[in-house]
Amino acid sequence: MTDELLTVLKFCFLALLYLFLFRVVRVVMLELKADKIALPLAALPVTEAPVSQPKRSRGARDESTLVIVAPESREGETFLLDQEITVGRAPGCGIVLADDTFASQVHARIYRQGGKTYVEDLGSTNGTLLNGERISGYVRVRRGDRVQFGQTIAELTR
Amino acid sequence: MSVNGSALRKRRRDDELKLGALALVIVAAGHVLLALSESPAFPPDLWAFLGGILALFVIAHLAVRRLAPRADPTLLPLAALLLGIGYITISRLDAAAGAADRVGPTQALWAAVGVVAFVATLVLLPTVRALARYRYSFLMLGVIALLLPLVPGLGREINGALLWVRIGPLTVQPGEAAKVLLVVFFAAYLVDKRELLSSGSRRIGRVYLPDPKHLGPLLLPWGASILIMVQQKDLGSSLLFFVAFLAMLYMATGRYGYVVIGMGLFATAAIVAYKTFGHVQSRIDIWINPWQDLQDTGYQLTQSLFAFGSGGFAGTGLGLGRPDVIPVATTDFIFAAIGEELGLLGTIAVLIGFMLLVGSAFRISLQAQRPFLKLFGAGLATILGMQTFVIIGGVTRVIPLTGVTLPFVSYGGSSLVANFVILALLLRISDESAAEAEDDAATEEARRAIESAHA
Repeated sequence: MTDELLTVLKFCFLALLYLFLFRVVRVVMLELKADKIALPLAALPVTEAPVSQPKRSRGARDESTLVIVAPESREGETFLLDQEITVGRAPGCGIVLADDTFASQVHARIYRQGGKTYVEDLGSTNGTLLNGERISGYVRVRRGDRVQFGQTIAELTR
Repeated sequence: MSVNGSALRKRRRDDELKLGALALVIVAAGHVLLALSESPAFPPDLWAFLGGILALFVIAHLAVRRLAPRADPTLLPLAALLLGIGYITISRLDAAAGAADRVGPTQALWAAVGVVAFVATLVLLPTVRALARYRYSFLMLGVIALLLPLVPGLGREINGALLWVRIGPLTVQPGEAAKVLLVVFFAAYLVDKRELLSSGSRRIGRVYLPDPKHLGPLLLPWGASILIMVQQKDLGSSLLFFVAFLAMLYMATGRYGYVVIGMGLFATAAIVAYKTFGHVQSRIDIWINPWQDLQDTGYQLTQSLFAFGSGGFAGTGLGLGRPDVIPVATTDFIFAAIGEELGLLGTIAVLIGFMLLVGSAFRISLQAQRPFLKLFGAGLATILGMQTFVIIGGVTRVIPLTGVTLPFVSYGGSSLVANFVILALLLRISDESAAEAEDDAATEEARRAIESAHA
């Protein structure tokens, strides 16, 4: 094998290396551009969509469970979320927080739609917190998230 | 699942496959080129080699396709290329070494173990945010891993540093695992305490300081890095730990004050160490003037500089230089070996590769919405970037030389496996954030549908 040929091959190898790096940079540029598109995408108006008919594609799993993790006196209490459930100090609530002086009478509601769980603050005095951050309106709750009403904290387990 | 979501998955995974295929072509070309420099024939093990690298990449790629389909497409191909270049360099050095010193086959084995660890991480960890819950367990495991080499009878001293633990026939570096474990703890802890730490409650002079009780766990990395420096004589890891945690503290709180205090603490510790410990002093002296003791203490560094010099612009060509004269060329000085045979062009390509890898890691962190994911991703990115800087800066005499591995490139099982786990964690964070963004878009759509129906 002649030295000249090896030198040519060496430069071919280096050129390939830079071609690879160039293509990675192109993918990165595409990623950055896609990011910019992705943001307004969420704000795109939807023309027609069914309202009260949630998608039943995950029908069998259309329920989830809320477990109280604090205060200790109520730790482990479990509530099945198969329909809308209200949370508050009032006796008529689905989850009654009688001893929690920081909770409002009707504090919040939790409901399922389209196989997903949402929590909505119902104008409580001290607010509802999702993973330590105060929510406004309704927000999605995911498995493992912690929701706090007054001094009571509950975790979505399923 | 929306149409946009599945388009994103397809685009990202197809990009990963295309880039990966190109990386494999380059690695195979390097392998052939190396063999051609010795004899004008294709290497006899070409098919085995091709089959091996193809199997490793395809397994990793399919795992990502199945387990983290929305993850960033650039990380895996970049890691594959860096690992491949490292392996070619290691097998090139093997050719010049005695039969007993050959490490190429071992490195190939560790690469396979690394891919297994990569897939296992993706399988066992469906969501990264679950890690935050076990923060104190991770702290404990991390500290135990750091201290393990100090246990008498268990630790092993290699090249003057006490970093290894002997388990049967294997010697492993638990410090590599400690890196990841402690980054988990710090990300979780700082997310909890970031408000307390960024707004001070006690006033001293003109500065407000946070309550000291919240600062306690933050002095821990400082203590740990001093311990590593003094007891294990490992300056590189010490610097790496400290800078990574300082960077995370700054990213969590946004306060320059911590950076200033941290730098001050480290400078103080470094000066005291320079005055007190001989091994620190000699490192600095070699850095300032490696030529004064060319044949003994300065030998490593001067050989490294000679290697870069003889490599020149385009290098001598694979297999045509003498990188084997550099001591420990397969681990700490692998960048110098690359510099000799592939020249400035090759070393810059490797540097760009690392920039893109670390840049993608930071981009993943920026795209994450949850604070824990953001900080964890940024911490892992800092570890990768800092480690690359510490060793490349060391062998090119930009900073005093401290021995750490060049991620994915250097020979070393513990380091390789740890880096594969870091890679899997970053991909998992990326996939998790993209999934949540998809969900949020769907929620927003549903909300708008309800509003327009009410209107």
